[in-house]
Amino acid sequence: MAKLTYSKVNQDILKMIRPPTSAWGILFLTDLMVLGFGILCFAWQVYTGLGVAGYTRPVMWAVYITNFVFWVGIGHAGTLISAVLFLFRARFRNSIYRTAEGMTVFAVMTAGLFPLIHLGRVWNFYWLIPYPNQRQLWTNFRSPLEWDVFAVSTYLTISSVFFIVGLIPDVAVAREHATGWRKKLYTLLSFNWRGTDRQWKHYNNAYTYFAALATPLVFSVHSVVSWDFAMSINPGWHSTIFAPYFVAGAIFSGIAMVITLMVPMRKIFNLEDYLGDWHFDSMGKILLFTSLIVSYAYAIEMFLAWYGGNVYEKSVFWDRAFGHMGWAYWIMVTCNCLIPLLCIKKSIRTNIMAMFVISIFVNIGMWFERFVIIVQSLSHNFPVFTWKAYAPTWVELGITAGSFAWFFMFFLLFVKFLPAMAIAEIKEILPMPGKKRAA
Amino acid sequence: MSAKRQGVLAIFEDPGSVVDAIKALKSGGRRKFSVMTPVPNHDIAEAIDTSQSPVRWCTFIGGVVGGTLGFLLCAWTSLDWPLITNGKEIVSIPPFMVIVFECTVLIGGLTNLFAMLFFAGLPDIVQGEAFDSRFTEDRFGIWVPCGRQDAEAVAATMRANGAEEVRVEAA
Repeated sequence: MAKLTYSKVNQDILKMIRPPTSAWGILFLTDLMVLGFGILCFAWQVYTGLGVAGYTRPVMWAVYITNFVFWVGIGHAGTLISAVLFLFRARFRNSIYRTAEGMTVFAVMTAGLFPLIHLGRVWNFYWLIPYPNQRQLWTNFRSPLEWDVFAVSTYLTISSVFFIVGLIPDVAVAREHATGWRKKLYTLLSFNWRGTDRQWKHYNNAYTYFAALATPLVFSVHSVVSWDFAMSINPGWHSTIFAPYFVAGAIFSGIAMVITLMVPMRKIFNLEDYLGDWHFDSMGKILLFTSLIVSYAYAIEMFLAWYGGNVYEKSVFWDRAFGHMGWAYWIMVTCNCLIPLLCIKKSIRTNIMAMFVISIFVNIGMWFERFVIIVQSLSHNFPVFTWKAYAPTWVELGITAGSFAWFFMFFLLFVKFLPAMAIAEIKEILPMPGKKRAA
Repeated sequence: MSAKRQGVLAIFEDPGSVVDAIKALKSGGRRKFSVMTPVPNHDIAEAIDTSQSPVRWCTFIGGVVGGTLGFLLCAWTSLDWPLITNGKEIVSIPPFMVIVFECTVLIGGLTNLFAMLFFAGLPDIVQGEAFDSRFTEDRFGIWVPCGRQDAEAVAATMRANGAEEVRVEAA
């Protein structure tokens, strides 16, 4: 980044939001087609009923809840990078945090759809919200599902606010170079920011407190998501390690998604000066560290099932590895425990193509982790006569594909219309212009 | 949108010169001026004003109010329709703590946002300072509101401290 100047940062990052090319248009249209198919699948489910999903007793939570946990997890790395690494003053975050934060908001927006899709009668979703009604019935605040409503909606609100606030000084830069409707949009989004000392003073103070509030929030949200499972007495779910295990897994999958998104972005927009070996090396270390935590959790789960002496627990975990869904378990172990071990070598961490491939494997592995935890545990419940295999239907797979398209639709719009890198924060780690160098 | 403004706008390339110019303005008895920068700068911030932003207190109060409201919501609704499960307390503190925490963060975060907007004067509709688009790129600016009679002296101070461009704005 030594070659960069303040002016060059403006030029390079504003280049990204130039009017879309035809390649972007084709990509966006393809994405909309997949999304359209997902919406059709959902419409079919609403019209026909939840029976079109592959739910079969005892597997009454399946791909939709898998997707919910997967997408909430993806969001966590964004908050880790934008808030936790901000508090620790990790300077490598400055180039990647905007994309990671955008990813968080879009991932949580995607995750939030799945409990509603899973409801079946989606029009009754408002029953989740505590509101006065004629029968004086309130929601049950002792239920982890109600905690989830509060946790996920708080997370979406705070991460969106954090994202929008972070954009203010950079959108002001875009405003100064835009014309027409874009100028109006950027003027609105920048709150007419002018970078006065008064504005910076209160802005920086508030930003620190957003980071301070978002840090415990990120740990709480996935803990609450894990308690959706751990608070039940279902074998395979009822475990005290679920909260830290889920949080580490969320950061692990989120970092992988950041790498998956940043590698093509770097190539397409020629961002080599902004995303160098240093950034991928640092992200590789986080990936490796969280992979080791997740691997430890897989091992300790197995150990507890054996050492705890609970026959049902033992049976579930034996079935998990060697039963009818063993293939999914071993995909999970290979992608989440073995492949990320390559990141031990610095030459791999700084090899951008290798990191991209590893991140794809981790994304796949982490989706399967949630699938295994949810579906396999339910399919191998207490009474033997209820044991039943589950396979997703085309409706569930269509909605899942649609959720990816929904996420990428927002992401594609984001990189084309908003500064996808934090201009002001990148400038902060560059040498100041001028001779006296007040820093 | 721009208001009627009178004053001097000085544009600097060097943040060190901005610090010198601020010191010169202060030693000349001027307290009312604004500095515009593309990035926050500690030296400039310290030269202007070392007081703490009140945003933190608003955030703290917002968090406390949010947590309290969260607890009251859980306790009141549970007492409104008492449903005893497993012989547990109607007002069960441990499970309610999740809601208390989320409400603390939610209301604290929103208060933080609104306090920041309020104290920073955003959205900046008044636009009390003259502005140059280079302040979002690589230049630093000082806006000194003053009458015509003072404008020349202020401009001279700015030039003496390294301003690369000085503009006098008259209403």
